Amino acid sequence: MTTKTAAKIDNTESWEPRIVAFCCNWCSYAGADLAGTSRIQYPPNARILRVNCTGRISLEFILAALEMGADGVLVSGCHPGDCHYTSGNLKLRARWTIMKKAIEQAGVDPRRVRLQWASASEAQIFADGVRTLVKQVKELGPIMEEWK
Amino acid sequence: MTNERTIRIDPVTRLEGHGTLTIKLGPGNKVKDIQFNVNSTRFFEKFLEGRPMEEAPRIAPRICGICPIPHHLASLKAVEAAWDVTPPPAAIKLRRLLIEAKQLSSHAIHFYALAAPDFVFGPFASPAVRNVAAVLKYLPDVAIQAIKLMEFGQELCTTIGAKAIHPTTGIPGGMLYAMKEEERDDWLTKVPEMLENIHKTVDLAKTVVNSYIEVITKLAVTPTYYIGLTNNGTHDIYDGKIRVMDPEGKIVENFKPSEYTKYYGEHVAKHSYATHIYYKPVGYPEGIWRANTLARCNVADRMATPLADAALKEMRELVGRPSHHTFVYHYARIVEMVQAAEMIKTLLEDPEIVSTDVKLSDVEPKAGDGVGVVEAPRGILLHNYESDDKGMLVKANLIVATNNNIAGIEKSLMVAAKQIFEDKVLEKITLPEPMVKT
Amino acid sequence: MTEPTSIAMAQGSSCWGCFQSLIDIHLNLATVLPLIDIKYWQCVADFKLKDLEGYPDKSITVGLYEGMARTEEDIHLLKLMREKCKILISFGSCSCFGGIPGLANFSTLEECLEVKFRNNKTVKDGEVPTENLPTIAPVVVPNSTIVDFEIFLPGCPPTSKLILTALTALLEGKPIELPPHTVCHYCDREKKETPIEKILRPYEGIADPDRCLLEQGYICVGSATWGLCEGQCVNHGATCRGCFGPPPPITNDQGAAAISMFGSYAPLESEVLAETVLDPLGCFWRFTYPTSHLGAIRIKREEAKTK
Ligand code: SF4
Ligand code: SF4
Ligand code: SF4
Ligand code: FES
Repeated sequence: MTTKTAAKIDNTESWEPRIVAFCCNWCSYAGADLAGTSRIQYPPNARILRVNCTGRISLEFILAALEMGADGVLVSGCHPGDCHYTSGNLKLRARWTIMKKAIEQAGVDPRRVRLQWASASEAQIFADGVRTLVKQVKELGPIMEEWK
Repeated sequence: MTNERTIRIDPVTRLEGHGTLTIKLGPGNKVKDIQFNVNSTRFFEKFLEGRPMEEAPRIAPRICGICPIPHHLASLKAVEAAWDVTPPPAAIKLRRLLIEAKQLSSHAIHFYALAAPDFVFGPFASPAVRNVAAVLKYLPDVAIQAIKLMEFGQELCTTIGAKAIHPTTGIPGGMLYAMKEEERDDWLTKVPEMLENIHKTVDLAKTVVNSYIEVITKLAVTPTYYIGLTNNGTHDIYDGKIRVMDPEGKIVENFKPSEYTKYYGEHVAKHSYATHIYYKPVGYPEGIWRANTLARCNVADRMATPLADAALKEMRELVGRPSHHTFVYHYARIVEMVQAAEMIKTLLEDPEIVSTDVKLSDVEPKAGDGVGVVEAPRGILLHNYESDDKGMLVKANLIVATNNNIAGIEKSLMVAAKQIFEDKVLEKITLPEPMVKT
Repeated sequence: MTEPTSIAMAQGSSCWGCFQSLIDIHLNLATVLPLIDIKYWQCVADFKLKDLEGYPDKSITVGLYEGMARTEEDIHLLKLMREKCKILISFGSCSCFGGIPGLANFSTLEECLEVKFRNNKTVKDGEVPTENLPTIAPVVVPNSTIVDFEIFLPGCPPTSKLILTALTALLEGKPIELPPHTVCHYCDREKKETPIEKILRPYEGIADPDRCLLEQGYICVGSATWGLCEGQCVNHGATCRGCFGPPPPITNDQGAAAISMFGSYAPLESEVLAETVLDPLGCFWRFTYPTSHLGAIRIKREEAKTK
């Protein structure tokens, strides 16, 4: 092993992924809040951004986050049928499916993004989702490593 | 010290495409090598892969903005061949009208903007005047008739294709747009003026041919093979079989486009990003062929319309068949322009041109291999696509007009360069007085 | 009479369609040509690269650059144009966004060379040409990352009308004012704001000529596209593929916006969408891949490989 690759692995081991999490105000943001107040442990990597509804999320948000160096992006919204604006989450889901295909076509590993549904009371589901994404992204390594 | 030198003409001007000319001269001005360096490539073959087949006709035209219509149509035909689809007859008529309209405008632009400045102002006039802007200044009437012909062709393309440059209405199984009756009527009223401008162009061309006859018959006379599409021997730019003529003038092949790999050889020259296509059974460089106007007029037994056919006969009386005269490409262009004009009139007068039955509704993709061929203004072009059973494009092979011509261009440049540098022919040939002195 | 305005027109790797579109202003040429003094225009006048290189810096008033710049020669020409011209126009979608040739960024340069020169139906074991040829960069990058432009005139090609409007304003020394609407604004088809039930490929069925194509299930990106074309395709039966790029500010990610719009119209099951939206990157980013977020990620990765 060359020193260079060794250094790289060292770096990678101490590296913690940066995750951007978009949470809808009505379910998941409340769920994340609850996770906090009920002391449910989840990795501190996620920076949570509150949106009114996942239907508000343009793919521009997600793709820009990746381009700016986010190692992973999480979107968490109300369960289908529970969206406070009736179908915002279904719209986001449709965008998501197409985006995932595009991401793959561009050579970005689709495991860097995750969509989940978590209601205001599902703090555990929210926390598990973050944990799953962090784990996936850790396996992939820092996105910026691919650009150096 | 050697007496060698290299002349680089960078870029080659008044042509469409990115080319540089490299001429290597040895001691005593011996021409050692000629390279026509096509110095750009964009990899269409690769990025067509993975696209839905029906998108190819919307992407492939970007190969060339001067002849996007032939690319659109060749691409459509390739998809239809792969999927085994035959569009309704009225759709084919619209496509024919589209390609003839393009032929008309392209030939007009080529003759007036690219070629004529040399003849009008003389080949040694300053670059500041040897161009179309100067034609407009010194010969406004000629320029206006040129512009009107270009306009007629391009605008007719817009009516049928939505856009003259990169049309979008062709779809596997037909056309997405049917010509409206009012549109047809409107176009018919414009036909007489267009025909008048064609006649004026023919007259101008004949004047040029007659005054430059020495240049035409002596400079850059280059025997090669010729390739072109004919329909049972009749000149046809939309459909037919591919004919190959040998340098003696014998038709040596007449094959279906789908069999092209037996006859097309592709030589990757070390100095050009555009490959050289040649007649495979004979090999490279012996089998170098040329495409484009003169090639089509050489391989065809006759033109498809009466005035054009008369013009072809007249041309043959002057230069024979086959003609190896590189400058006769301009003459053949005029013959074809006449045919395009006549075709346009006939098609517009055909009641079926406004039929609304222009698209199939039950096209199904399937796995297959399809070849589509049409004649672009600058020569035969071929698209070959492989489709999977979902109708996604798996593989593409594109052989465009340029590929068929570059080796021939180099060959004819070699002849011309030898004449110019070794035989000092320019001192011997008498050039006519420029039509316009500047 | 005022002095004619000096103009240089240059082409990188392009199809020449933008300049054909300029020629297609037809009889207006008779008005415009006498007002300009052509300093460089490969397909029209016989000035050579040396001539262009010899002009003093900023001595040419207006320059237009068509095409993307992937070969070292394209890049040289682009930089040269920047040096010589006061106002440099990014002419056409290839120049503004990478355009159709930007789709080459789907593959590595090696993969491209393989199909083009080494092995295909008519070539076996060919060798990539190199003699007297400029090298080709590993990816298509946006021209705007190489030089700055004063003006962007998108379109594949920009329409003749748009070109004439822009040229006239420039020659008169006025700002170019362009309406900001999307293609939908110019589309004659009726929208009823109904969700899409089924996605259709463009050859399927016979479309209702009066209804929005998107609402009938045909993917149309008109609502995410700058309508400078005035809806030529959609008013002629064909869906919009977005060739004018995003509406102003044109730095927006057109594909991201188009899919966001599309998702709102087609809240279908994921499986159905995955199966029927066949080629998202090649459809929604057809003309803007290199300037998009995903495109930027791809470019960084390809460039990293060659470092
Ligand atoms: S923008 Fe379109 S028309 Fe212009 S050069 Fe590029 S492909 Fe051709
Ligand atoms: S989406 Fe397309 S078809 Fe529908 S209104 Fe907009 S441009 Fe017209
Ligand atoms: S309708 Fe869309 S694809 Fe057609 S010209 Fe306008 S922007 Fe381009
Ligand atoms: S309100 Fe939560 S997804 Fe719409």
